[in-house]
Amino acid sequence: MSNQVYEQNFDINNLDPADFVLINKGEAIKDEVSSIKALGFFKDAWVRLKRNKSAMMAFTLIMIIAFFAVVGPSMNKWGYNDQNPTWTNLPPRIPGLAGLGIADGTRILENRRTDYFSDPNKYPEGSILSYTVTGNVNGIDMATVKVDAYKLAGVPDDTNFLFGTDYLGRDLWTRMWRGARVSLTIAILAVSANIVIGVVYGAISGYYGGSVDMVLMRITEILGAFPQTIVATMLVLILGRGIRGIVTAMLIRGWTGTARLIRAQFFRYKGREYVLAARSLGVPDRKLIFRHILPNSIGPLITQAMVSIPGAIFSESFLSFIGLGLQAPEPSIGVLLSDAQKTLLTYPYQMVFPAILISILMISFNLLGNGLRDAFDPTMRGVTD
Amino acid sequence: MAKYIFQRILAAILTLFVILTIAFCVVRLMPGSVFDDPDLSDSVKKVLEERAHLDKPIFVQYLYFLKGVVTENDWGTSVKLSPGMPAFQVIVQKIPVTMALNFISLLIAVPFGALFGILAAMKNKTKVDTAISVGVILGISIPSFVFATCLQYFLAYKFGWFPILYQPTATTAVKVSSMVLPIFALALSPIATITRYLRGELIEVLNSDFMVLAKTKGLNQFQATVRHALRNAAMPLVSIILHMFAGVVGGSLVIERMFSIPGVGGLMIKSINALDHSLTVAVLIFYAMISVATALIVDLTYGVVDPRVRMGGKKDE
Repeated sequence: MSNQVYEQNFDINNLDPADFVLINKGEAIKDEVSSIKALGFFKDAWVRLKRNKSAMMAFTLIMIIAFFAVVGPSMNKWGYNDQNPTWTNLPPRIPGLAGLGIADGTRILENRRTDYFSDPNKYPEGSILSYTVTGNVNGIDMATVKVDAYKLAGVPDDTNFLFGTDYLGRDLWTRMWRGARVSLTIAILAVSANIVIGVVYGAISGYYGGSVDMVLMRITEILGAFPQTIVATMLVLILGRGIRGIVTAMLIRGWTGTARLIRAQFFRYKGREYVLAARSLGVPDRKLIFRHILPNSIGPLITQAMVSIPGAIFSESFLSFIGLGLQAPEPSIGVLLSDAQKTLLTYPYQMVFPAILISILMISFNLLGNGLRDAFDPTMRGVTD
Repeated sequence: MAKYIFQRILAAILTLFVILTIAFCVVRLMPGSVFDDPDLSDSVKKVLEERAHLDKPIFVQYLYFLKGVVTENDWGTSVKLSPGMPAFQVIVQKIPVTMALNFISLLIAVPFGALFGILAAMKNKTKVDTAISVGVILGISIPSFVFATCLQYFLAYKFGWFPILYQPTATTAVKVSSMVLPIFALALSPIATITRYLRGELIEVLNSDFMVLAKTKGLNQFQATVRHALRNAAMPLVSIILHMFAGVVGGSLVIERMFSIPGVGGLMIKSINALDHSLTVAVLIFYAMISVATALIVDLTYGVVDPRVRMGGKKDE
């Protein structure tokens, strides 16, 4: 379009149609197409999550542990309940690390009679690495001996127990990864059930409000007044010591947190105009709840699930620790910890690996949970790290 | 205001009553009876069950129980663990050590948590802050019993600084030192929780306008933080600490077991295993009372300080 300067003396009543030209003829009027690609909700969150180093590291660690939980138990020839009465309590022996003096399959024995050292029935050849005489009792020298526990027990040289064996001669590598598998299964089962119950309950409470909300919230308050540990203890006793009992025990009040979260989200969104619009169009309550309001909560919900997993793992091992865990011989991280606790002072290595595993799992899930919360809701970033 | 207090107390009593009922039913529905002893003849068993009202339907048993509780503060009688003793008295004996353990660990947790939280917030985005944040993640993540095991193995067994187990009969000095490890193990997670909360809260407040004003009028960073920023964060902190108290009391169960401390937690497990039902119900009520009472205190203090809470809970917001 050009600004032509018209002569001033034209007649407004006698305009010549030829003077007029249609502008934009033949070209459509459009907004400029954005060169930036639109990001979906999840993709946006993923981009932010990827920038969070600790969360990504936690995610990798969880994936590694999950991989071993699936594959680990079948990586060597021992089953989780293969007992061997002569190979009990062997210390760990990891081939690559033997040169460093850790996990080399040796053990220090105190107050041993030196006159037995030459007896091949008691000390097979090559089992004694070094000894120092510490005293003399009734004419016999007593010594502190460093022995190769594997030779002492008659284990073939090419056989290694990476994490050692327990009091029944079971391979702890197999048992630990199977334990991780069981613990993770319990945690995931409990958390998903909690989420489902919590979502439905919280949605009803938040959507209908009023006296429905009052009654439903009173119920959660009553459930909340029971200490979690006590309820879990009672339920396991009633339902029996199995996965079912433990998961149910965690369900009893585990869902109240999710329910409260969803209820709050519903209070926030149910008065919005788009909900009113949908309602005026005759959308039924069920559809309003699940299609229109609930999707707003997907971010906090995923975060909540991730944050409750360590809680579930903790509850499981807590129950095992006080002797209400899974029934033998099924291992779980808690069962392993509780078994190791009994022989802590003599065989501390049995405690080390499960303790490290549960700590890494808990830390990783917490970090990932924090990362997800920041990713889904950037306004909350750094408020509680 | 009076109406609000009255409402909350009424709700708490109602909650406690429902819990009492549920606890009674659940425990009575547990399989097995303490009188299932093959050595007892049928006639003796019958007399015993009659005396404990076990021959009647559960509803009638419940009425007897309620009558006992309301009229003479009778929570039932222990039959197995301390035969003939009222359940109430059995618990009262065990309360001091459990309470001492929990109170002291929280008392320690509050100043340490506050210190670390303030420090981390003031040195935000420095190495100090990073170190404290790592510590917080560890403290929140590592289960108390794993931590307690480490303490037990290294500090008590390897270095011999503290006794491995609780020594109730030893001299006062030994007794106190044997309490150190369990208290420390219990305090870890509260310290981490308080630190995390305060750090988050303070970082947000430190950049606000009234902090600038406080500094303009001549306060230094520390004075401004403690006098102005901290006060803002104090009220929610009280409720967090009170809630934690209920949680810690439940959590001390496993610590009590590890260090063989004769507290309420151990009593609970023992009474369940011994089918000493009246005792189990009484212990459950004890725990429920603690958490209901803390919730009530939180509600009331909030209601007094923050009028918005009193108004809350209207329909169709």
